[in-house]
Amino acid sequence: MLSILVIDESRTRAAEICAGLALAGHQVAAVLSSALDLARQVEAIQPDVILIETDSPSRDTLEHLATLYRDLPRPVIIFAQEGDAASIRGAMKAGVAAYVVDGLEMARLKPVIEVAVARFEENQALRRELAAASKKLSERKLVERAKGLLMKARGLDEEAAYASLRKLAMDRGKPIGVMAREVVDIAGILL
Amino acid sequence: MDDKLIETGITRRDFLKNTSLAVGGAALMSMVPPGVRSGAWAAGSDAPEKKEVRIGFIPLTDCSSVVMAAVNEFDRKHGIKIIPSKEASWAAVRDKLVNGELDAAHVLYGLVYGVHLGIGGPKKDMAVLMNLNHNGQAITLSNQLKEKGAVDGPSLKKLIVTDKREYTFAQTFPTGTHAMWLYYWLAAHDINPMKDVKVITVPPPQMVANMRVGNMDGFCVGEPWNNRAIVDRIGFTGETTQDIWTDHPEKVLGTTADFVARNPNTARAMTASIIEAGRWIDASLANRRKTAETVASKSYVNTDMDVILERMLGRYSNGLGKTWDDRNYMKFYNEGAVNFPYLSDGMWFLTQHKRWGLLKGDPDYLAVAKSINRIDLYKQAATAAGAALPKGEMRSAKMIDGVVWDGKDPKKYAGGFKVHA
Repeated sequence: MLSILVIDESRTRAAEICAGLALAGHQVAAVLSSALDLARQVEAIQPDVILIETDSPSRDTLEHLATLYRDLPRPVIIFAQEGDAASIRGAMKAGVAAYVVDGLEMARLKPVIEVAVARFEENQALRRELAAASKKLSERKLVERAKGLLMKARGLDEEAAYASLRKLAMDRGKPIGVMAREVVDIAGILL
Repeated sequence: MDDKLIETGITRRDFLKNTSLAVGGAALMSMVPPGVRSGAWAAGSDAPEKKEVRIGFIPLTDCSSVVMAAVNEFDRKHGIKIIPSKEASWAAVRDKLVNGELDAAHVLYGLVYGVHLGIGGPKKDMAVLMNLNHNGQAITLSNQLKEKGAVDGPSLKKLIVTDKREYTFAQTFPTGTHAMWLYYWLAAHDINPMKDVKVITVPPPQMVANMRVGNMDGFCVGEPWNNRAIVDRIGFTGETTQDIWTDHPEKVLGTTADFVARNPNTARAMTASIIEAGRWIDASLANRRKTAETVASKSYVNTDMDVILERMLGRYSNGLGKTWDDRNYMKFYNEGAVNFPYLSDGMWFLTQHKRWGLLKGDPDYLAVAKSINRIDLYKQAATAAGAALPKGEMRSAKMIDGVVWDGKDPKKYAGGFKVHA
């Protein structure tokens, strides 16, 4: 069971959507008909999923929450009055997890939310993977620089420089990337 | 071994990226009329590739030059038709630019840079065709703060130190200009926007209503909403943004790199039309009055004309009894100085994104600014519109805290602030 926040400023669809969500076995944490105090509400309610209209001005507030809490992003599902293909494609590409068109049968709400959450989680995993890959890259750069410094300062060849860096790291129980950063930092002061 | 892993990682990432691009690309291609490329080649001319362009805008005074380019038909002169499209949020503007529903938009300078680097959302190569306006935003403080003695930066700092509670300030988009003006101003008075106060994002037309119900102590937004707060007697102007950075960059005509690559002549025509509209607005008080009348209507900003007009004419009152004629009111052309997409202007937003932790590391400041700000295209458009060009691609300014920004060493500048995230 997911806790869902519904933002429906035009107050046209909330009742219908809530009924659909309840039928699908989800809990509607709150329905906000106004954007006043949205940031605080999202923080207080901590919903699993947020449902909002495409043309809602409050989407900017959600953008801000996404940059603030990078560790705790939530899938946002957007629903629109009209569902032309272009705007659906647009929302999808923009990273919105799902896009629900007006006139959707409530029976379909459950699978839509499930698919949205699943895709959102996939996307998050991909982002984490990307972040890890770029961290690894910068780690490799640091190791290269530390190696270079050791070679220059102590007249070592590349293999010996790497071995001494690895030994430094192992003796101190630190990952080699961290050790390399320290060597580079200290070299910056000493040299 | 290590290297191999990394290589595989990149390949996989590129593979994923390319696949999703291919899917999106195929969808996009189906919307391109056949023969666009050959048409451009065959004509071998400056004829716009796309004759009708949808330009998004948010209801703010500084959308004026985009609106007047269409209303006064400066667009026809350059062989295009501009259709202004009112949007409800910056997020919607961004999504529609990215998917091509909008061809271009009146958009926050920092937002374009944020999307290009993928800060907190989708990543897409973007383009700035021109700067739309200088000045004309402000920081509004609530009447409750005034009652406690906080009427400007120094007295606000004093209040925050002595009367401890949660102070809330609002801006309009996390990477946008108002966030950066607000943060810069608070930090200039030794208030850390990330630690000492709470910052939220609120859409411009909702600022005044939010302050009325006590949701915030202050906000930074474009006009007419600061003047509206005074007219409605809920707040006062604590600082104008022209006093934070005189002649600061603000909204730009933004689009995607794809659009410019496919429609260079249309991009040039849009730019030239809007340069001409800005020149017309700045040419006389009567034109400014006519502009205020036009943009006040329901299709655009939807508020009283007087609220827009006062500050458009430089007639300021701060809501505390002080009135003055501001030389540095909102300008749309100012002999062409407003519109040039200076590399130093673009880089400044990157330095502040870095300062406030929106960017984790230093980007290649100059390279990013050079790829986004289309100076060559702008020069052609300015020539077509008969607007003067500056000598350099950088400019220099002294900010409210006395620090000079000239674009020469962005990494050092970004790292040199005492107050940061």
